Amino acid sequence: MHVYIYDTFLSDKKFARILAKIEARITDLGLNGKIGRLGVTKKIFDLVKDEIKRGAKTIIAVGNDETVEKIVRCMSGSETPLGIIPVGKNNLIAESLGIPAELEACDILSARRVERLGLGVIGDFHFLSKISTNSDNLKLLLDSGYSVELKRSGPIISIVNLPTADIALPEGLCFSPRDGLLRLLIEGREKRNVIFSRKNFESVFAFRKATIKSAKPIIFNNLIKVSGAIEIEAKKNAISVIVGKNRKF
Amino acid sequence: MFAKTSDNSSMNLKEVETIVGPSVKVKGDFHCGGNIIVEGEVEGNLICGNMLQIKSGSKITADVTAKEAVIGGEIKGNVKIIGFLEITETAKIFGDIEAGIISIAKGAFFNGNCAMNKESRNGKEGKKAEERRE
Repeated sequence: MHVYIYDTFLSDKKFARILAKIEARITDLGLNGKIGRLGVTKKIFDLVKDEIKRGAKTIIAVGNDETVEKIVRCMSGSETPLGIIPVGKNNLIAESLGIPAELEACDILSARRVERLGLGVIGDFHFLSKISTNSDNLKLLLDSGYSVELKRSGPIISIVNLPTADIALPEGLCFSPRDGLLRLLIEGREKRNVIFSRKNFESVFAFRKATIKSAKPIIFNNLIKVSGAIEIEAKKNAISVIVGKNRKF
Repeated sequence: MFAKTSDNSSMNLKEVETIVGPSVKVKGDFHCGGNIIVEGEVEGNLICGNMLQIKSGSKITADVTAKEAVIGGEIKGNVKIIGFLEITETAKIFGDIEAGIISIAKGAFFNGNCAMNKESRNGKEGKKAEERRE
């Protein structure tokens, strides 16, 4: 059975029409299944784990990047594929995976092109795309061989698994979430591209395992609080994802 | 960005794995199998499995090993290149050099011994480098 997990923001009336259209399209394609709605009281971890245990054929995240990352955290190591139906704004992960928004995403589900992708892990927090923080008071030890120090304070640093359109990668640099590596990107002095809200990165390091040390607590993505030392690791082939043929890797 | 640069190098890096930016300092044994561009500082050992570009303004205090290299920055340490080594006019090298094929631009500073590696020159990589030069 396919299990569709709707994010909380989709309970807003303005999404009712598009959700009705998506549900009709899913039925037309013979992909109908169970719908689970995230709520304040409903724990996503329990919901996803229970459905996988019951033999869900696909877990489908209906929402935005945040929805996808929330569900990815519960699916690491599972063989059940993750599908995505992007709805609303902030759908850069879906874009990188070649999944168009809303109704067209149903056709991608129907084509069922499954790729095994890697994930990044910081502590016990898994991520598909990236985590970012301000670099102050940070020391990074990469692959136990060398350390990276910053000669100035303030640049944003990102640990990237799946590059998205908001990151302006230096020319000649391309990477994939299938290569079993993460990238440490350090923001350059150049001004950010205001029009496209893209960050320009001047330094790039590929690694499998890194240790971040910080005298003060640091916060990634306004979500993960780290103090002292913490390890970041690339987990290869950690999740199956239904992708589109226009994926960016 | 990585095509014809201000270092006047002939190397064109189409795929880059690592970029050490100008505001970054790397310490320790730095190994990389792919192409590397250095614009910042490196201390320790720098081993590149493919092409290495050390840009003007960068400072390397390390022994450097690579398949091919273009050097436009400052190096304090020995340089060992299997194939083609290009030293541009902005380069300052304090150490010994060993390379299969070498080109030193007018104005470059080099203080050390230079040895040509015949095996590399006659080998596959050397021939490839020579073809690229032509």
